[in-house]
Amino acid sequence: MGLMESVPMPQPVKFILNWGRRYSLWVMNFGLACCAIEFIAASTSKHDFIRYGVIPFAHGPRQADLLVVAGTVTDKMAPALKRVYDQMPDPKYVISYGSCSNCGGPYWDSYSVTKGVDQFVPTDVYVPGCPPRPEALLHGIIKLQEKIGQEDIQEKWTRGLTVPAAPTERAADTAPVTPS
Amino acid sequence: MEAGTRSSLSPAEIGDRLRAQFGDDVLDVADQFGHAVVSVTPARYREIAEFVRNDPDVACDYFDFTAGVDLGDQGFQVITHVYSNTRNHHVRLKVMCDRENPTCPTLSDIYAGANWGERETWELFGIRFDGHPHLVKLLLPEPFEGHPLRKDFELMTRVAKPWPGAPEGEEMDEDE
Repeated sequence: MGLMESVPMPQPVKFILNWGRRYSLWVMNFGLACCAIEFIAASTSKHDFIRYGVIPFAHGPRQADLLVVAGTVTDKMAPALKRVYDQMPDPKYVISYGSCSNCGGPYWDSYSVTKGVDQFVPTDVYVPGCPPRPEALLHGIIKLQEKIGQEDIQEKWTRGLTVPAAPTERAADTAPVTPS
Repeated sequence: MEAGTRSSLSPAEIGDRLRAQFGDDVLDVADQFGHAVVSVTPARYREIAEFVRNDPDVACDYFDFTAGVDLGDQGFQVITHVYSNTRNHHVRLKVMCDRENPTCPTLSDIYAGANWGERETWELFGIRFDGHPHLVKLLLPEPFEGHPLRKDFELMTRVAKPWPGAPEGEEMDEDE
């Protein structure tokens, strides 16, 4: 990556790279609730996000570029989600699909629901709704592709690849395990 | 279905059988939606559950759920719902526990399904089940402190932002 760090990337190269990346998004569906059903509906023939180059059913997080968190993330599930995210290769993107994963949604005052996945995975696009319609996911995907199109991959890479983060604030807040 | 081969017992009939066997340890028998709801003393809760399971007339072989209720100053209540596949009737056992140190006998050796139900009731209400083989958290994350379904459990989000709605039945009459 020595050349990339020292020489500014020419605009056409940047464009080509972004263009290639934005229309080939292998997607990992982290489906946890009813939003996952809307996600599946968006992948099937009627809405068909494959026509935007979003390829469902990645064989695992290690083959995926895009993580769609669809559903209610609980504090107990959050470490598993973080782990899936950490296993994905860079560059990777996250769409938070539905009110629950955006902010807790109807479970905003629950004792067990994580109030927003952006607390522990960097989220690119938030799709609001409860659940959002498949069209809303298509809209979110287009927004993400616009974002990727304007991305400076050089800046993204030289800033350092995403390293598995230190324990999240949330985890630090909770007290250590007490045997009971 | 084979289930209908023998007719189901009415809640009153189930209550009579339990009263005949256990006398005053059956505190109350009620008919709720066709289910026999039986309040029992903690001392003979296990015995009664065993009877409900093994008695050829009651024969409740299917464990549905165990849950808790926070009744405030009165203490906690453990509710166990069982069902008879052969007789097609439902029985609900209710047993009260102390507010300060709630304990309840386990049914996990009588009904295998009670194992997880009791673990859940334990973590959510803090009711100890005496004799339970593996009383550890089932659904909550390990570092979680407190018993979230108790009425006095403080929801931190609601401390920061009070619930914006009205209690049920007291909603704004905008629609009227």
